[in-house]
Amino acid sequence: MNRTFRLLRQAVDALLSHRQRSFLMMLGLIVGIAALTTVICLGEGTRARVMDMVAKQGWDLIMVRAGAARQVFAPTADRTIASLVEADAQAIQNTIGNIRYVSAVQNQRGWEVVFGNASVKTRIFGVGPDWHYIRRRPVERGEFITDADVVNMSKVAVLGFRTAKVLFGGDNPVGQTIRIGKEAFLVKGVFVEAGITPGGDDWDDRIVIPLTTASRRLFGRVYLEQIVIQVRDARALPRTVEQVQQLLRERHQIRSAAEDDFFVRGPEDVKEAALSTSSTLTTLLIALAAIALLAGGVVIMNLMLISVSQRIHEIGLRRAVGARRRDILAQFFFETLCVALAGGALGGALGVAVATLLGWAGVAANRITWIPFAAAIAACALVALVFGLYPARKASRMDPAAALRKQAL
Amino acid sequence: MIALESLTKHYTKGTVVTEALKGVSFRVERGEFVAIMGASGSGKTTLMNILGGLDTPTSGTYRLDGLDMARATDDELSGIRNRKIGFVFQQFYLLDRADALKNVMLPLIYADGSGDDAARAGQALAAVGLSARSHHHPAELSGGEQQRVAIARALVTDPVILLADEPTGNLDARNGLEVLAIFQRLHREGRTIVMITHDPAVADHARRLIVLKDGRIAGDSPVTHPRDAQAELGRTPGDAPGAGPR
Repeated sequence: MNRTFRLLRQAVDALLSHRQRSFLMMLGLIVGIAALTTVICLGEGTRARVMDMVAKQGWDLIMVRAGAARQVFAPTADRTIASLVEADAQAIQNTIGNIRYVSAVQNQRGWEVVFGNASVKTRIFGVGPDWHYIRRRPVERGEFITDADVVNMSKVAVLGFRTAKVLFGGDNPVGQTIRIGKEAFLVKGVFVEAGITPGGDDWDDRIVIPLTTASRRLFGRVYLEQIVIQVRDARALPRTVEQVQQLLRERHQIRSAAEDDFFVRGPEDVKEAALSTSSTLTTLLIALAAIALLAGGVVIMNLMLISVSQRIHEIGLRRAVGARRRDILAQFFFETLCVALAGGALGGALGVAVATLLGWAGVAANRITWIPFAAAIAACALVALVFGLYPARKASRMDPAAALRKQAL
Repeated sequence: MIALESLTKHYTKGTVVTEALKGVSFRVERGEFVAIMGASGSGKTTLMNILGGLDTPTSGTYRLDGLDMARATDDELSGIRNRKIGFVFQQFYLLDRADALKNVMLPLIYADGSGDDAARAGQALAAVGLSARSHHHPAELSGGEQQRVAIARALVTDPVILLADEPTGNLDARNGLEVLAIFQRLHREGRTIVMITHDPAVADHARRLIVLKDGRIAGDSPVTHPRDAQAELGRTPGDAPGAGPR
């Protein structure tokens, strides 16, 4: 048993014999570390969710939206901005390298779709034949829209998983005829079930038809909502984004000072935008963590100073029986450190519990990694250093003879 | 064992310089039982602090067991206090939160030796007749018992000198005699003891008496008829231990 270990035991004994004071010392840290841990768990959860979303969309996806307004996730209402046209998509395909697929996209909400007695209101997408490669939406039954469908303005449709379920129940929709508005469409295929994106976009509630059919037979307009692009080399994607932007500015005759009337973004933009939406909860928790850690530190320092002055005789005695200054320093610092680490452990457990609860409740994404624990240990050690060293130094600097002579407090 | 030569100690407070010791010289040989007596203000507390390595002299030399105490660093003094000196204080200074055994083990925390600390502490407690109380906390012990625990704590490192500062000052007559009886027994067993007191009746239990007055030695002579604490205990009515004031 070496001296350091013995001193550590002395520190723990002292803390255990003053449980109430030790708990008070921990309180601020428990709250602070709990808030910190919660924030990190939720942050990590959001990060994982965003990375997952971007990965699902593909690291090779460039999206061009009509309008300058930045919208991170799917728009909640249709916007009719007359800026992008199909010729833009053609120009991108023809003039820029590093392009694998391009598809113009139109969409509109609120279309009534009927089969027999069943009907559903859903969102219609008009797309090109390569769209399902770009957006990685495989067809489960039947097949996707072909070049010929687009050229011929065919009245064919591919149904979202749930749309198909609502209209056809368990039956196979492929080969059946549905009505979209006043037009009859042949069902060519059904998408694989995809679920709802973190942005609230329901991929299973939609119908996809050829772009030409959408623009000329249903929507009666040429303007597009978006152009989606898949690049060949994802590493060169930022350069491609610039080229697309440059090309569209020229095509739209936008003068140098003027803002784009479209918005190009790559997967990094999607990621950054999604991650930068720091919620009020996060801000609140970070503020709480900072205040609680600071307050906790001040409380620790004050209680340690009180403890030092109440234990003057103990300090004098320890010095008399052979403790060096640094032994006293170590003992009192260990007391602060142990309290801080114990508070950190309790706070960490509490924080993980809170984050898990929030995750279960669906309020926020939660992911437990080693990071919050490392952060908790680092924060506690820092608090102990900042607020524990001064009282410990004060104890160690006490003159032993004077300490022993001091009247009992 | 102890050799003091022209020892002085000055305290400076603002512009006022207090001379607590004005040139003190004496020797204490191994196995002696010396009482240092003086009124308050005589400099005996200062002398005690310097003898115990808790303070250093302003001038003069002090050698303890061959070590130059006047020029030792703070860390060296800590080591010397741990290995060479056993302190017994008027106020006992036991840790309330620790039992008797743990209190006795305290100096061993700062001793870098290996070995069974608890066994050594147990032996020290046995030497003061408190084996049965090793797991009692100070609050559960009488004043006399507490001082005996403190003596065991002083003995646990097997020091060359036992330094007692008014060891009976907080005890009633009977408990005081018990402590003195232990000192006398330890003296017979060969311990070197220096005891500081203001009380002539207590000093009479030592074998040699040094009288300190106004920072100087006013007398240094053998005690001609040392009192026997054990015999006095036999004559004292056996009131309950610990009944006296603390």
